[in-house]
Amino acid sequence: MARAWKSPVKARGTVRAPSAQQQVLPFLEPEPRTKPLSLTPTPARRLWFCVWLPNLPLEACRSSESATVVVEEQQGIHRVLLADATAQAAGVMAGQSTNAALALLPTLQLEERSPVREQQALEALATWMERFSSFVCIAARDVLLLEIAGSLRLFGGLRQLRENISDGLRQHGFTALLAIAPTPLAATWLARAGRRACVRDTQNVQSALRDLPLACLNWPAGLRASLTSMGVTTIGDCLRLPREGFVRRFGAEPLLQLDRALGCLPDPRNSWRAPERFCADYEMTEEQSDRELLLKICEELLLSLEQFLLVRQLGTQRLTFSFFYLKGPATELRLGCASADRSAARWLELLRIRFEQLVLSEAVIAVRLQSGMTQAMQAESADLQFQDSPRGQKRRYSVTQLGEKLIARIGDQSVYSINTVAEHRPQYAWRTQSLLSDWASTTLSQVSQHVRRPLWMLPEPALLPAEGVYPLHQGGRLQLLDGPERLETGWWDNDGIARDYYTAVDVAGIHLWVFRSRKQSPSWYLHGYFG
Amino acid sequence: MATSGKRPCRYAELHALSNFTFLRGASHPEELVETAVRLGYEALAITDECSMSGVVRAHAAAKEYGLKKLIIGSEFKLQSGRKLVVLAQNRNGYAALCQLITNARRAAKKGDYELARTAFENGLPNCLALWVPDQNLTLDVEDHWLRETFRGRLWIAVELLADGRQREQLAKLREEGSRLHLPLVACGDVHMHQRSRRVLQDAVTAIRLGTTIDGAGFALYPSGERHLRSLEVLQHTYPQELLDETWRIADTIDFSMDELRYEYPDELVPEGETPASYLRKLTGEGMQRRWPGGVPRKVIKLVEHELELIADLRYEPYFLTVYDIVAYARSQNILCQGRGSAANSAVCFCLGITEVDPERMQMLVERFISRERNEPPDIDVDFEHERREEVIQYIYGKYGRERAALAATVITYRPRSALRDVGKTLGLSDLQVSRLARSMQWWDGRQVDDSRVLEAGLDPDSPVMKRLLYLVRELIGFPRHLSQHVGGFVISNAPLYELVPVENASMPERTVIQWEKNDLEELGLLKVDVLGLGMLTAIRRSFDLIRDFGGQQYTLASVPAEDPRVYDMICDGDTMGVFQIESRAQMAMLPRLKPRCYYDLVIEVAIIRPGPIQGDMVHPYLRRRNGEEAVDYPSEEVRGVLQRTLGVPIFQEQVMQLAVVAAGFTPGEADQLRRAMAAWKRRGGLGSFEDKLISGMRARGYKEEFARQIFRQIQGFGEYGFPESHSASFALLVYVSCWLKCHEPAAFTCALLNSQPMGFYSASQLVQDVQRHGVAVHAVDVNRSSWDCSLEADENGLAELRLGLRMIKGLSEEAGQKIVAQRCRGAYAQVQQLLERVGLDKRELGVLASSGALRALAGDRYRARWAVSGVEKPTPLFTSMHRYEATPLLKKPTEGQDIVADYQSTGLSLERHPMCLLRGHMDRYNYVPARRLASLDNGKKINVAGLVITKQRPGTASGVTFVTLEDESGQINVIMWKQVAEEYRAALLNARLLGITGELQIEGKVIHVIARQLFDHTDMLGDLCTRSRDFH
Repeated sequence: MARAWKSPVKARGTVRAPSAQQQVLPFLEPEPRTKPLSLTPTPARRLWFCVWLPNLPLEACRSSESATVVVEEQQGIHRVLLADATAQAAGVMAGQSTNAALALLPTLQLEERSPVREQQALEALATWMERFSSFVCIAARDVLLLEIAGSLRLFGGLRQLRENISDGLRQHGFTALLAIAPTPLAATWLARAGRRACVRDTQNVQSALRDLPLACLNWPAGLRASLTSMGVTTIGDCLRLPREGFVRRFGAEPLLQLDRALGCLPDPRNSWRAPERFCADYEMTEEQSDRELLLKICEELLLSLEQFLLVRQLGTQRLTFSFFYLKGPATELRLGCASADRSAARWLELLRIRFEQLVLSEAVIAVRLQSGMTQAMQAESADLQFQDSPRGQKRRYSVTQLGEKLIARIGDQSVYSINTVAEHRPQYAWRTQSLLSDWASTTLSQVSQHVRRPLWMLPEPALLPAEGVYPLHQGGRLQLLDGPERLETGWWDNDGIARDYYTAVDVAGIHLWVFRSRKQSPSWYLHGYFG
Repeated sequence: MATSGKRPCRYAELHALSNFTFLRGASHPEELVETAVRLGYEALAITDECSMSGVVRAHAAAKEYGLKKLIIGSEFKLQSGRKLVVLAQNRNGYAALCQLITNARRAAKKGDYELARTAFENGLPNCLALWVPDQNLTLDVEDHWLRETFRGRLWIAVELLADGRQREQLAKLREEGSRLHLPLVACGDVHMHQRSRRVLQDAVTAIRLGTTIDGAGFALYPSGERHLRSLEVLQHTYPQELLDETWRIADTIDFSMDELRYEYPDELVPEGETPASYLRKLTGEGMQRRWPGGVPRKVIKLVEHELELIADLRYEPYFLTVYDIVAYARSQNILCQGRGSAANSAVCFCLGITEVDPERMQMLVERFISRERNEPPDIDVDFEHERREEVIQYIYGKYGRERAALAATVITYRPRSALRDVGKTLGLSDLQVSRLARSMQWWDGRQVDDSRVLEAGLDPDSPVMKRLLYLVRELIGFPRHLSQHVGGFVISNAPLYELVPVENASMPERTVIQWEKNDLEELGLLKVDVLGLGMLTAIRRSFDLIRDFGGQQYTLASVPAEDPRVYDMICDGDTMGVFQIESRAQMAMLPRLKPRCYYDLVIEVAIIRPGPIQGDMVHPYLRRRNGEEAVDYPSEEVRGVLQRTLGVPIFQEQVMQLAVVAAGFTPGEADQLRRAMAAWKRRGGLGSFEDKLISGMRARGYKEEFARQIFRQIQGFGEYGFPESHSASFALLVYVSCWLKCHEPAAFTCALLNSQPMGFYSASQLVQDVQRHGVAVHAVDVNRSSWDCSLEADENGLAELRLGLRMIKGLSEEAGQKIVAQRCRGAYAQVQQLLERVGLDKRELGVLASSGALRALAGDRYRARWAVSGVEKPTPLFTSMHRYEATPLLKKPTEGQDIVADYQSTGLSLERHPMCLLRGHMDRYNYVPARRLASLDNGKKINVAGLVITKQRPGTASGVTFVTLEDESGQINVIMWKQVAEEYRAALLNARLLGITGELQIEGKVIHVIARQLFDHTDMLGDLCTRSRDFH
C-alpha cells in the first residue's frame, strides 16, 4: 500500500537532496512512516469529474447578444464582476466600477448579479447531468462534481464521456472548465486552475497538484495573503512547509483539505437531488365516463398527493389534472391556491366546483395528477376548538377561502380585491389587485380623513352643459355648496389633472361631485354622486 | 364669501418659506422677493423653518428690487406638533429669535432641531407669533399656554388653500378666535414664488422623504396654491378684515438687516489704550524687530501712511484680532503666513502677519485696501495643516463658543447631485442614474446633449427624460444643506446668537453660523480665515531638521533672499515637491518664463491657472517677456494698471482696476463685477456688465477690439481669477521651498515625506527625485528608523535620508512610537522581542515583516513573515515563548518580488526601478529611456515606456490629455490629442505600465512626446501596485 502511494517524483528524489531530507522533518507532505495507516490513500475506487463554470454569473443572467457585464455591489459601489468577450475587448475588466466600464464602452449592458438565477442554472445543469452519473453534487456556487467511475463503461470510456458533457454544456450556453481526478478536491482545484487534466491514479495526484497556484483553492483571502507574503504561492510550496509549524500558524483546516485532496483522508459528499414534484397516474382497465367515479379517482390521487407532501413537509400552490382519452389530446384542469397547501380536502373542494363545468369530450382511460413547484411548509397546528382566535384573523382566512372558491368557479381574471391608494387624483385613489397575489403585500393605505369623496364615482367624468359660468344638470342650474377643492397633481405620469372640485346640489336635491377643469377654456364635469 | 370690493387691496405675506427650508421650499429667496414686489405686496416675511440662512439673500434682493418691507421670521414645529411662525418686531426681537433658533438647533443633532415649551419661558420679547392650526382646527390647553406667552402678540393664521373646506375652516377659526379673544390674519403658507414650481415642490418633497414621487402619496400637496397669490385672488379668497390685519401687523414691525452692526471683541486692547494707539505701539515694536539696525525712512513713511488709512476706515480691531491669532501660533512654534488684500501691507509685516518684506514687493497698500471701495479688509492666514486645529481651539478658548464660530458653506445642488436625487424620485434605477450622471460631464448648465442621453441607453424624447431634465435644471443651484466653511471664523464682541443663529456642525465640537461667506460680505461683517497649508508644515519641519542636524535656525524671513542658484534651478524646471510651481504645467512653463526675481514668481503663481489660460493671457505674456512682441498701452491709465504684467491682465485686481480706469466703473461696481465674475458660469452670463464695460470703454476712446479683448479675458477668468494679494504671499513660500530644495535637498525631502499626503507627487517620486540629486536613501529598519523619516550623517557628515516607520502602510503611529521608545533598551535581536517588549500584535508584526524592516532580525521578508506568524503571546506562566521549530523550506524573494512587496508596503522601492527589470522583456519595442530624450532631435519618431504616474485632461486644453510616465531614469511628459485618446481609450484608462509610440518635441529645455499609439504592458507588472493620480 505504502509503496503504491509514494509519488514517483519523490521516489526518484529529484525534489530534495537526501541530506536535506534529514534536517527538515517532518514535512507537510504526508509521510507514510509517521502517519497512521488509515490516512494512507486507498487506490482509486472513485473518479471525480469536475465542472467549473467560471462565467456562471454572466451566463445565468445574460439577456442580449450585445456586450454585457455582470455587476455586483461592493461597499456601496457597483463593480464589474464578469465581462463577456466583447466587453473585455473594449478593455472592461473585473473590479472596475460601472462608471469606469461605461467610460470604456458606453453601450455596455449592465446586469445585476443574481445568486438566485445562478442557483437555478446550476440546479438545471445538475438535473441534466444526472444522465451521466447517479452521483451528482453541487460542490460550490459554481462547481458541479460527478462521480464517474461507474459510468465510464456505459458511456464508452473517459474521452467519450468528457466529450458528451462538454458538448452538452456548450449547447446549454455555458463555459466550463473540466478536470478529472480521484478526489473531489483535486478535481475541483485542477478545474479551477484551468488544467484540462485527467488524473486516474491516486499516486499521481500530488505531482499533478504541485504547480497549482493557491488561488484555485478558494482559501480565505487572509490565509492566501499570509501565504503569499511568505512566498508560498503554489500547492507544492505549501507541501514543503513543516506540518507542525503550518498548523500552528494557519490551523488544521487547510491541512485537512490538502490531505483530502491527496486522498489521504476520506472526503464524503452529498449527492444532489432535484426538488420533488408529485406525479401520479391512475389507469383504468376500460374507458369511463361516470363523472362521480372520475371524481372519486381524483380524490384518491389527491390523498396520495397529501401523503406525498406530508412526509416531505412540502406544499404546493398549483395542481394539474389531466384526463386522457384513447384518442386525441388530454383535457387539462388546473387549480390554484393563494398559499401553499397540501390538504386533500381543500383541494377536493376546489376541484368539485371546477369539475362541474369541465367538459370531457370522450370517455376517460387515465387520470394524471401533477403538482406544481413544491415548497417547504411549516406544519400547521389546528385551532383548538375552545380557544377564541382573534376575530380578524379568522375572518381573513375565510375571505381567502371564499376568494379561492370564487376563482375556482369563475376564473383567475374575474376576481379582485380593491385597495385604496395614497393618491390625490380620485381616479387613482383605489386599485384592483388579483386575489392570488401575495396577501401580505396588500396594506390598506391611509385615506385622508378630511376630504369628502362620493361613494359612487363615474368611470369617466361626464361633461356637463353650462349656462354662462354655471353648470347645468337635469335641465336645472347646479347650486355649488362647498369648494373649490383644487387638485393640481399627477404631472409625473401622462395623466396629470388640474381641476376645481365642488359639491353641488341639483334641482332634484341630489348631491353631486362636479369639477371645473382649469384649462384655457374651462368646462364643467360630473364625477360622482353622494349617497 | 368673496367680497370683491373696489377698495385697493393691501397685503403682507407673513408666512413664506424659501428653499433654505431645505427640500420643502421650492423657490430662491430672491425669487420670492422679486415676485412679492411685482404683485405689489406691502411686505414679505421670510420665515424659513428654524433658520436664518436665506434672509441675507432676501435682504439683498429686497434692496435690489425695492421691496417695501422685508420681515424676518421663522417657522417652528414644537415638540407637541404645534406649528408656529415667529416674526421679529425689532432688533431685540431679532436677537431673541436668533437665540431661540440657536438653542433649538444646538439641542439636536446636525440638521435637526428640538423646541420644547421651556424655550419660550422668557416670553420671547419683541416678537410676534402666528399660530398655524393643524387639520383638526381645534385648540387645547397648549394654546392657552401659547396665549399667555404671547399675550397680545398672538394671531391665528388663516390659510385658505383651496382644499375644499375653506368655508368650514373660516367659520371654525372665527369661532375659536372669538372664544379665545385672538385676532385672525390671512396667511399663505407660501412654499414657492409661482404656481408652476409645484412640480419641483413635489420632487423635493419626495427627495426629502426618500421615496419616489408617485409613492409619496398624501405627503404631496394636492395643488400649487402655496405660492405668492395675486392681490385679486387674495381678495376673492379672504374676507377683507383678514387681509387688512396683515399690513397692520407689518406696520408694527420695525426692523431691517441693515441695523445689524458688528462689534469687534474689545479684550484685545489693554487698559488705557485705544485700538489705534495699541496698533501703533505694536507696529512700532515690530518695526524695531524687523530692522534692528535702524528703520529706513521709506518704511517709516509707508507705515505712517497705512496707519492713517486704517484709522480712517476704523480697521484697527481687525488687524489686532489677526495679530492676536498669529502671535499665539508663533508662541506655539506653529508656522503661519497671511495673505489677502490687507496682508501685504507694511503694517502686517511689522506685526508678523506676513513675512513678505514690503521693500521686496514695492507694492502700494492701496492696491489692496481702498478708501473708496469701503470693503472690509481681507486677511487669510495659512497655518501648518497638521496644527491648524490647535489654533482653532485657541480661538474657541479665548472667545468662547458664544462669540466665535465658523462660517457656513451652503452646499447646493450641482448637475450630478441633482440628477441623482431627481432620478431616484422618478423611479430610475441606481444603474440608470449613474449611467446618466456620467453624461453630466458634458452638461453645460442648460442642456444635456441628446447623444449623451442616448449613449446612456435612454431616449431623450421620452416623457420621463423630459421631466427629469426639466427638474434637474430647476433644482441646480438649490441649497441642500449647510456645511462648515474650511476655516472662516466670525468673532464678535457680543454673543453671536444675537447676530445670527449658531448650529452644530457635523464635526464634534464645532459650531457654525447659519450664514456663509457671501452673506457676511453682504452685511459687512468681518471674518478671519484660518486655513491649513501642508507646505507650511513641510517648511517648518525642514527648518527643524536643518537645525537639529547642526545647521542654522532659519525662519521664513531669514532664508537668504534672491539667490541666483535657486532661480537657476527653477528655470530648469527642476521643481518637484516645491510649493505651487511643481505641477507638470508649471514645470513646462518655467523654462520659458525664466523667473529671475521674486515678482516673477508672483506672476508665475498666478498665470498657470485655468483663468489666465482660458482667457488666453499666457502666450501674449510669454511673447512680450521674451521680447517677441511689443508692449503698448492704449492709454496712460491702462499703462498704470498693466505695466507690471507687460500689458496683460493677469491678476483679479487688475481687471477691477481696468473697469474703473478704462470703463468708468465706480469702485463699488467693480466689486460687483468681481463677484459676478466668480459666479457667471453658475448664474449664466455677465449680462449688464458686458454692455456697461464695453460702452464705458468705447466712450473713453478705446477701440472696440481692445474692449472686446478685455471682456473676453474677464470671462476667461471666470471663477478662477487669482488675486495678486494671494499670489504675493504664495510666492514667498514658493521661494523658500525652492531654496530648501536647492540647498538642503535631504532635509526638504525628509520633511515632505513626513508631511504626506500633500502636493502633486507620491513619496516614490519624491524619493527618486532626491536620489537623482545625489542624496542616499536608506530603507526602513526597526533598529534604525524613527517614526518619521530622519536624517543620518554619512562618513563625511553629509545628510542622508532614512525612511521612517511611518512609511509602512498599516502600522499605527502608536505602534511605531512604541517600537522607537523600547529601542532605548537596546536593539532588537529577535522577532519575539517585538512581541514581548513592545507588545505588537501579530498583524502589526506581519506588516513590519512585509515591509522588510525586520531584515536584520529575521532575514528576507518571506522568512520574516514566517517567523512573525509563528510567535505567540507570552502567558503568565511562560513569560518567554521562544520555541525552536523546523526551518521551513521557503524560496528567496526575487528582486522583482521584492520591488512588488516594497511598493505594496511603503509605496516606493529603493531597489531598481521596475522598468530596469522589464527592459529585457521589451527589447523588440526599442523603448528609449527618459534620460536620453534630451540628446535626440526634435521631431524624431520615438518609443517610450514607463509607469503611468499622472493622467490629466484639463477642461482648459480642449480634449488634450497629458500623461506623465516614469522610468528608471526620470519622467516623460506625453501629450495626447483627443483622437488618439479616443482610439486607445482602453489602454489610456487601464494601463499602469504604458508604452507609447510618437514624436519627440523639444523646445529648449521642455521635452514632450506626442503620442500616436499606445500599448498596455500592465500585465508585465504582475502584482505591482503603482499609483497614478488622475486629474479631470
